Amino acid sequence: MAFFLALFVCGAAGDSDAAEPPKVDLQVGKAAYQRYCARCHGVLGAGDGVDAKRFYPRPRDLTLGIYKFRSTVSGTPPTDEDIYHILAEGLPGTNMPDWKHLSEETRWQLVYYLKSLSPAFNENPPQPVEVAADPGPKHADIKKGRALYEQLGCAACHGSSGRANGSSAAGLVDDWGLPIRSADLTQGWSYRGGANPRSVMLRFLTGIDGTGMPSYSGAISPEDAWHLAYYVETLQEKANWNLIAHPMAVEGPLPTTVEDPRWDSVRRTDIRLRHVVDNNGTWVSAPTVKALVLQSMYNKETIAFRLTWNDPTEDAVETVDSVALLLKTPQSQGDMLSLQTWPYDGSPVLDICLWSAKTKEAVEAVAAGFKAVGTAAVRSQRESQAEYKDGQWRLVIQRPIEPPASERASALSQKGLTAIGFAVWDGAYSSTRAVSPWVELDLRNNVKSDE
Amino acid sequence: MKRLQFAALIGMGLILVGAGIARQPEAQAEGSATIKGSIHFSGTAPTREPVKMNADPVCQQQHSSPVLSEEAAVVGPEGELKNVFVHVKSGASPAASAPTQPVTLDQNGCWYTPHVFGIQANQPLEIVNSDATLHNVNAKPTTNQPFNIAQPVKGMKTTKKFTKPEIMVKFKCNVHPWMSAYAGVVNHPYFAVSDEQGAFSITGLPAGTYELEAWHEKFGTQTQTLTVAEGETKQTEWSFRAQ
Ligand code: HEC
Ligand code: HEC
Ligand SMILES: [Cu+2]
Repeated sequence: MAFFLALFVCGAAGDSDAAEPPKVDLQVGKAAYQRYCARCHGVLGAGDGVDAKRFYPRPRDLTLGIYKFRSTVSGTPPTDEDIYHILAEGLPGTNMPDWKHLSEETRWQLVYYLKSLSPAFNENPPQPVEVAADPGPKHADIKKGRALYEQLGCAACHGSSGRANGSSAAGLVDDWGLPIRSADLTQGWSYRGGANPRSVMLRFLTGIDGTGMPSYSGAISPEDAWHLAYYVETLQEKANWNLIAHPMAVEGPLPTTVEDPRWDSVRRTDIRLRHVVDNNGTWVSAPTVKALVLQSMYNKETIAFRLTWNDPTEDAVETVDSVALLLKTPQSQGDMLSLQTWPYDGSPVLDICLWSAKTKEAVEAVAAGFKAVGTAAVRSQRESQAEYKDGQWRLVIQRPIEPPASERASALSQKGLTAIGFAVWDGAYSSTRAVSPWVELDLRNNVKSDE
Repeated sequence: MKRLQFAALIGMGLILVGAGIARQPEAQAEGSATIKGSIHFSGTAPTREPVKMNADPVCQQQHSSPVLSEEAAVVGPEGELKNVFVHVKSGASPAASAPTQPVTLDQNGCWYTPHVFGIQANQPLEIVNSDATLHNVNAKPTTNQPFNIAQPVKGMKTTKKFTKPEIMVKFKCNVHPWMSAYAGVVNHPYFAVSDEQGAFSITGLPAGTYELEAWHEKFGTQTQTLTVAEGETKQTEWSFRAQ
């Protein structure tokens, strides 16, 4: 009877951890591992699967027993529940998917099998860090949390505004010798172990083993840890992901500066950027620019874009920060074209508006590649203004909605949608660029026509 | 009667004296033989680059002149090689218990002091932050349990232990990537670190035949086997070259 009751309870709880873990059967775990995990983590778990090199971060070498996302003291292995949780949720923002579609039984068998891959699980028992009772958002002391953030030196790696631009951030390497970036704490969606205060607190109490981020257990009281965690939550900006952007129609002149207060009333569209890997298909650096915020306003003739993106370093001298706005040309309108692969041999031309932090100028031309913009026979200068502050670029660019025919530039449709794309370079890592998917600009909504 | 004193000359002159004589006699040196050594580097010594501490103003302010890297190798005018960890690799019986007196690893001026040191298995290691800035102590043993702890506050102390012998355990600070230190963990008191004169001395050895190993972070390891009688002092010569 008790057995049935237990089954019933966990059935009702769905995907919960409440389920009674099954008996260990390493053969079942091993079979599931070979089927689902080996292509990334390697047949023997050494993190060297066939797909491994294409990813940043790399799939984990599971034989070392180094786990980033734990509830346990630095240097001790994770609990079974920690590993189960990772399998259930995956690690968002990395290539580690979730395994919700596998049965609970299979996931538990995978947990046991992973533990059998590393001696670390026999050497030391998991030792959970001490956690105090959650004071709740009402009783959390944000001011104290902010002071702790400074005192504890989080800013050395994460920057005082959390934009991953601390003074020690650039030189960080992980325990596998690969360059690593501290997390941009303003991008709550990029936290792999969860962005809620409890998860954040576990991250800094346990440390993120293998990454250089240390454990603060012992350096902060369990009660204060909550205040800091709630403060970190306030750093997170709410993203408005969308693949359709609705520029705001206005009468009269458009803003020419990033500071123009009118931008405050323009809706933001957040766009994920993906890094284009170098020719060998392996990572040479940790990706920095992960997303871009698009805002736009237009009047009858002109559209103004304000682009905001976080980049931990201002690079304006040798290898420079830059950004490109991309429009399809009339000929390539219907093409299935991905900016991940463009440009390639024989690829169609695109209308490129390229802004560079060195020249502080935006030049637009129709070209078959980014480099060709500077030498294109027909080029147009666009009005722009930019500012770099505390790990963030903001840039305003204006361009005509329907450029004169002599410019040969693409027009934005006022009757339908126009696809626009973005490419961003971080001058500190000029070998890679981050690109967006195509975003549809919708200039129909607020059209104030004078016909 | 056993003589119970040993002195391990550690890195920057930290001297540990065997403690708890009455309570744990077996833990300490048991004999009266001494092995001395003189370690030289032959060839062109690598240049010691000044360390750029501009990532942290607190570090920079503590030094009026640039600090030279210890990582590349500290070589004296006659080739004297500092920071070589020498220990009895075989021939010594493990100490029955470890000293309770801690070894101190200090972070001072954004620098580990000492850079290379020895410690016995299960002997407490007291890690101290003497700087008004964040250090993280990222210890990366492979046999022992690794840890990576933050010491954000000046004066903070953390005590850790390594339970198993391991040559060597590396420490680094991720906030200040130039900071590194190495510990040789052994299960007896017969070890030493070469000083600025390239000299070391291991005392209190019982008569016997020992295999000695000398380790340098850049130039690898070397071994010598020798026999000492009770009361005897033997001098050894070691020569490292660039690999
Ligand atoms: C598509 C590639 C891919 C596949 C398939 C994959 N993983 Fe991963 N996995 C990764 C990557 C990448 C990471 C590293 C993420 C990081 O470092 O933040 C990772 C990390 C992990 C971690 C470490 C978590 C931690 O706390 O550090 C575990 C455990 C893990 N994977 C288990 C599995 C299991 C079990 C499977 C099969 C059911 C699997 N993975 C399948 C890519 C993959
Ligand atoms: C020595 C540098 C360093 C310090 C100091 C540091 N961090 Fe981190 N932190 C990192 C790195 C590196 C990562 C990214 C790890 C990765 O990519 O796997 C990270 C990631 C994070 C994450 C994201 C975890 C996730 O789920 O993806 C949070 C939250 C965080 N740190 C909070 C803090 C707080 C709060 C402090 C201060 C108490 C702090 N960190 C101090 C280096 C540091
Ligand atoms: Cu440091």
